[in-house]
Amino acid sequence: MDILACPVCKGKLELSVEEENEKEIVTGSLYCPKCDVHYPISETIPNLLPPDLRH
Amino acid sequence: MRKEEIKKVVREGYAKIAKQDSSCCAPVNSCCGSTDLAQDIGKSIGYTEEELTAVPEGANLGLGCGNPVALASLREGEIVLDLGSGAGVDCFLAANKVGKNGRVIGVDMTPEMIERARENARKGNYGNVEFRLGEIESLPVADNSVDIVISNCVINLAPDKRRVFTETFRVLKPGGRLMISDIVLLKELPDFIKNSIEAYIGCLSGAIIRDEYIEAIKAAGFQEVGIIDEASFPIECLANDPTAKAIIENLKIPPEEVKEVASSVTSIKVYGVKPN
Repeated sequence: MDILACPVCKGKLELSVEEENEKEIVTGSLYCPKCDVHYPISETIPNLLPPDLRH
Repeated sequence: MRKEEIKKVVREGYAKIAKQDSSCCAPVNSCCGSTDLAQDIGKSIGYTEEELTAVPEGANLGLGCGNPVALASLREGEIVLDLGSGAGVDCFLAANKVGKNGRVIGVDMTPEMIERARENARKGNYGNVEFRLGEIESLPVADNSVDIVISNCVINLAPDKRRVFTETFRVLKPGGRLMISDIVLLKELPDFIKNSIEAYIGCLSGAIIRDEYIEAIKAAGFQEVGIIDEASFPIECLANDPTAKAIIENLKIPPEEVKEVASSVTSIKVYGVKPN
């Protein structure tokens, strides 16, 4: 978590977990309070593409 | 093409590659020969037989142009960041070197590649590798947090290479290293190749002149910047590579032009350090 940063402002992200197993977080999200953007975690992969590049 | 469009076509191109290989050649049987081809390309660009067998099957897609991990002198416990990690081959090789106290992070902007890499990590039971969907011009990584950044034949695909190097510099710890393999040009390519989307995806038209590339690394703040190794593209290699073959056929490049193009392209291994 301490290596993760918002791709836009490079600020710290707040983690919220929806589902996790013994090894990793399966679904959840990472929130950047500065940019007010949620980055989803789905199937253990955080989607940290800048918002304008997301599908 | 606008920068956003370039990113879109590159993503689509690599999504296709990620899917193709898994549907056709999985798991061992090479019905279309691409697994074998990937192994052959792998060996020709600097991976050893042992390295290729030490990573999960399907992690090497034969898309690199060097073996940055071999040159990176990784140490136990280090944190490694791989820009454009693809199916994960270099991340897994790095993971074997940094051990369980180390950590490897792969960033790739193509969801299909990240998906394959994650599957491969599971197959190989790698606990010290993680993959993130992200973009190398806007790294989702904190300042001063990694020991070494590696990348294998990817930065040529980024429309804004200067920004990639500035971002790389930012995320490295003071004293951190950069070790990349990439395609650069010795002279400008003819316009019809420069404007080809296939040639962009095939790591040709996005490539910039070698000296500009090195200058961009220095401009980001790196010191001790140097080319460790440089290998020209043998013409046979260009003619055998399926991507190159498609480009040659689609653009109807005459044989003498192919030779000319091949002599304009070179692969380099570059090193740099973020000063303390």
